[in-house]
Amino acid sequence: MPGADLYMNDEVGGNQSRARFQALCQSLRPDLLRFAFWLSRDRALAEDVVQESMLRAWKARDSLLDETAAKPWLLTIIRREYARTFERKRFPTVDVDELVAKEEPMLAAAEEQNISDVRAALMKLPDDYREPLVLQVLMGYSTAEIARELALSGPAVLTRLFRARQLLRAACGEDLSLDPQA
Amino acid sequence: MMDHTQYRSAIMADPHDPDPDLRAHRAACAECRAFTEQLLRFEARLERALLVDIPTQAVVLPFARKGVQGPRRWLALAASLLLALVIAAGVWLTLPQRSLAAAVVAHMAGEPDAWQLTDVPVPDADLKAVLEDSKLRLKPDAGVVSYASSCAFRGHKVPHLVVQTPSGPVTVMVLVHEAVRNPKQFDEQGYRGTIVPVPGHGSIAVLMRDHDSGSADVARIAARVDDSIVWTR
Repeated sequence: MPGADLYMNDEVGGNQSRARFQALCQSLRPDLLRFAFWLSRDRALAEDVVQESMLRAWKARDSLLDETAAKPWLLTIIRREYARTFERKRFPTVDVDELVAKEEPMLAAAEEQNISDVRAALMKLPDDYREPLVLQVLMGYSTAEIARELALSGPAVLTRLFRARQLLRAACGEDLSLDPQA
Repeated sequence: MMDHTQYRSAIMADPHDPDPDLRAHRAACAECRAFTEQLLRFEARLERALLVDIPTQAVVLPFARKGVQGPRRWLALAASLLLALVIAAGVWLTLPQRSLAAAVVAHMAGEPDAWQLTDVPVPDADLKAVLEDSKLRLKPDAGVVSYASSCAFRGHKVPHLVVQTPSGPVTVMVLVHEAVRNPKQFDEQGYRGTIVPVPGHGSIAVLMRDHDSGSADVARIAARVDDSIVWTR
């Protein structure tokens, strides 16, 4: 079984499985942090959520039957952990302009101004549109996978992706004259 | 036969959709082909925009150990309670002088991952980016910098570095916006450190974990760190 090494029980095996799990988390960390960042739009919160998710993942590692499926498995844990964060704390109403200003160092793209514009527009995109878009573009999920992850129908996912791109392109001053109406 | 609206709606939901009907419509319709090219140019921007920089940092997970059973469990619980009381008392005693040192320690406690003992340096470009914001660079003999991040601290972005030394990992925060008159040693919450003035450039905080260090170590390392910094303004 590909994931078997993650849950060996004796002392030596335990050390090996910890090291292997740590290496797995290390290799996936950039993608997980980016996903958590675009979910929360807050770097510090994203780091907390990812760290807590990795601990939860370690405790639940025997539910990962195939190590090659680790990334979607961890993304699901991150989404749940992020939701739990909101259950635990009542965050004040989010001021998107403040968020953009706060995360300015992370959003700034050294090379191109037009990338920074897209990042600022992404920050302002409603959660319902941003999340499926991030899963599709950043994580490479298919429509069916997004639908499963977000518990939506396929057509609902496609509508959100369409709206997400329409809003983003409008915010970035793209030519919308050929766009269909939603 | 698919019409323009159907095609553009589908392609806006998934610009890389390989559906043969979409491909056939695109091949037959110049206007929709132009629309697709425009959309794909934006898609490339979107892909780059989503790839925000992530600070290089080792993952360190405090793995849970097997539970302790029987009387040892109660002893462990009692010890934990005692430790909590001691920490609480310590925090209470230091409250009136909660200050720059306390803020530095609180920041360190919030980034436990940075303390990993390693010989893997952060990429030069990452380190340079972090240091450039504060107009400084490090001399080549500064040691292996295993962690570098621009951290929010008291309303400013400050470089937060971890330098690997023979005495263990040492955290350095360059506090350009925090001037101190004299060196201040502190020993709080398992961290031992010092904040030393840097005339014209604020101060530098140097911390080690308590078990890695003695006061002399910290002062010596702080002097060495100070000496390794080259200010570029």
